[in-house]
Amino acid sequence: MSATDTGGRVRKFGSAVADGWTRERFGLLGALGLVLLAFGPSFQIYLFTDFLVVALFALGFNLLYGYTGLLSFGHGLFYAGGAYGLAIVLRDLGPVFADVVGSGVAPLVTFVVGGLVGLALVVAVAVPVGWLSVRLEEIYFALITLAFGMIGYSLIIQDPAGLTNGTDGIIVLLGSVDVGGESFRIGARQTYYALTVVVVLAAIYGVWRVVNSPFGTVCKAIRESPDRAAALGIDVRHHRWMTFIISAAIVGIAGVLRAGLASVASPGLTHWSTSAVAVIATVIGGATYFSGPIVGAFIFLYIRWGISRFPTLDAYWELFFGALLIGVVLYFKAGAVGGLLLLRDRLFGEGRAGGDDGPTQGGGGAAEPGSSGDRADDRGDDS
Amino acid sequence: MSLSSLVPLIGVSDVVVGLSLGSRLFLIAVGLSLIFGVLGVLNFAHGGLYMLGAYVTLAVVTGVIDNFWIAALAGALAVGVVGAAIEFAAIRPLYDRIDADLDQLIVTFGFVLIIHETVRFVWGSGSYSVDPPALFDFSVSLGGSTFGAYRLVVIGLAVAVLAGLWLFITRTYFGSLVRGTSSDREMASMLGVDVPRLYTAVFFLGSVLAGLGGALSAPLQSTSPALGDQVIIDAFIVVVIGGLGSMTGAFVGAMLIGMMQSLGPQFISAGSIAIPFLAMVIVLLFRPEGLFGGIGE
Repeated sequence: MSATDTGGRVRKFGSAVADGWTRERFGLLGALGLVLLAFGPSFQIYLFTDFLVVALFALGFNLLYGYTGLLSFGHGLFYAGGAYGLAIVLRDLGPVFADVVGSGVAPLVTFVVGGLVGLALVVAVAVPVGWLSVRLEEIYFALITLAFGMIGYSLIIQDPAGLTNGTDGIIVLLGSVDVGGESFRIGARQTYYALTVVVVLAAIYGVWRVVNSPFGTVCKAIRESPDRAAALGIDVRHHRWMTFIISAAIVGIAGVLRAGLASVASPGLTHWSTSAVAVIATVIGGATYFSGPIVGAFIFLYIRWGISRFPTLDAYWELFFGALLIGVVLYFKAGAVGGLLLLRDRLFGEGRAGGDDGPTQGGGGAAEPGSSGDRADDRGDDS
Repeated sequence: MSLSSLVPLIGVSDVVVGLSLGSRLFLIAVGLSLIFGVLGVLNFAHGGLYMLGAYVTLAVVTGVIDNFWIAALAGALAVGVVGAAIEFAAIRPLYDRIDADLDQLIVTFGFVLIIHETVRFVWGSGSYSVDPPALFDFSVSLGGSTFGAYRLVVIGLAVAVLAGLWLFITRTYFGSLVRGTSSDREMASMLGVDVPRLYTAVFFLGSVLAGLGGALSAPLQSTSPALGDQVIIDAFIVVVIGGLGSMTGAFVGAMLIGMMQSLGPQFISAGSIAIPFLAMVIVLLFRPEGLFGGIGE
C-alpha cells in the first residue's frame, strides 16, 4: 500500500515525513486497509484477527521485557486469565443477564461483562504475583514467572474448584444479538474482526500513552540502569510492580479476545510454551522498539501461514522460528523493526524516527499508532 | 491420622519408584546445574539434549550394536559433541553482553525448537521404548510388591554419577580450574586459565551428563519428541530447589521431587501437580541460592 503511495516520489518521502502530516495520511491509509480487509476472504479476516490478538499479547509482554528489562516466561497465565474469565461468565451467567437486560442484547452485555471480569481477574492475580516476582531479576525472574504460570496450568487442568473443566477447557459461545429485528452473531468473522480492531487499537493507544508518560520514561531509565535509577531516588521495585500489572492487564485483554476467536478457553494458554510465543514474536520483531512485538507477531503468523501452504515444511515450522530466533539474538538484536528502519535510512537518507513502513502497512494500519511513533530508543545495546 | 496408619499405604515399590524417578531427575538436572554453576547459563535446551541422548541410544541399539551400555555411552558422547557445538557457535558470542543471561536463555530456547523438530524429522512423532539391558531385565519382589530390577540399577548409577562428579570437581586439577573459574572468572583468566575453552569443556561435560541421563533413563520412559519439553521443566524445579550450581543440591532436590511424584498422589489429590511449582516459588523467594548453594558442595 505504502509502496505504491510513495513509489513515484521516493525523494520527497523524507521531507514529507519531516513535515509531519504523513502520519495522518498513513493513519488514514491504514484505516482504509482495515476496512477493505473486512471484505476480503474469510480466512484472511481470521488470520488478521489472530495476528491482532497475538500482537497485543506480545505488546503487553514487551512492556515488561522491553521497558523494564524483565523477561517473563509466565505471561500465559494472564492470557489464560482473560480467556477463562470470559468463558466462565458466558457459561454461568448468560441466562442471568438474559433475565436482566432482555434476551436481545444479552449476549453483547454478557460478552462485555465477561471481558471486564476477565480483566479484573487478571489484575487480581497480577497484583500479588507481580509483587512477589519483581523481588527477583534476570534468570530468577524468568524462573519464578515460569513457575507461577505452571501453577496456573496445574490448577486449571486439575480443577480443584470445579470451575475450569480440566483439560478440555471451556467452550465459548458468544451468541447472537437481536435489536429491532436485526440479528447478528458476535462471533461472525467480520463482526468479531471489527470488535478486535477497535479493542486492540484502543489498547495499543493506551500502551503508547503509558510508554510516553513520565511513568514510561522512568521505566526506560530503570531498564538502562537500575542502579542509577535507584540512586536518583526512583523506587525501582515499585515501578516494576506497576509495569507488571499493566503488562498483565494488556495480556489479559488479548486473552479475552483469544477466547472469543478460538471459541474455547483451553489450559494450553497457561502453559509455558504459550508464554514463549510472546518471547519469540517480541525478539524477532525487536524488543527495543514499541512496534517490535507487533511486527514480530505479524511475521510469526504470516510466515507460519506461508509455511503452512507447503505440507512437508509445515510439519517442521518450529525449526524455522528456532533458527530465526537464534539468528536475531546473535547477529541482529534490533530485530525486524530495526532492520526496516535501517533499510529506510539507506533508501531515503536520514529520515526522522517515525512513520516506519513495512509489513505493518501491508497488513493494514493496526500497527499504526506504534509504528508511526518511534523507537523505544536503543537499549544501550551490547554491540 | 497417626504415622502407623500411614505406613501401610506406602509400599516398598512406591519408595523404589520414587527413588528411581528421583535418580532420573538427578541425571537430567545435574548437567544443567553444573553448566549454570560455572558458566551462569541457564540452558533451556538441556531437556532437548537429554531427549537426544535417549534417541541416539535407541538408534545405536536397534541399528548398530545390540549392547545397551555401549549405546548409552555413544548417546552421551554424541550429545556432548552437540552441546559443545551449541556453546561454541551460539552461546560463546554472548558472554560479554550486558544482558547476557537473558540472551543466552532465549538462544537456548531457540535450540529447544530446533532439537525438537530435528528429532521429529529423523525419528518421527511416534514414541519408542528401549529394553533394559538383558542382565537386569527381570522383576524383583520385595515386601509384597514387584518392580523392574533396572530401577535399582538407575538408583545406583545416579549415586555413582554424583560420587564421580564430586571426585572430579574436588580432586582433579581440571576440577580445581572449574571451581576457580566459577567463583571468579576474571581472576582465573588473569591467572592464565583459558576461560572460553574451559567453558566449552564444561558445557561438553554438562551435555554428556544430559545425554547419559537420557540414555540411562530410556528403559524407564517412552521416548517421544515431547520428552524434552516435559523434562526441562522438572529439571528447572530440581535445580532451583536444590540450588542452581550445586551437585548435592541437585541430588537432594531430585530425590525430594521424585518421592513427591511417587507418593504425593496418595495423600493429596486436588492440585497435586502444582506443589512442585509452589515449592519452586517459595525457594526462589526465600532462598534463591537453593537449599544447597555453590558448586562442588
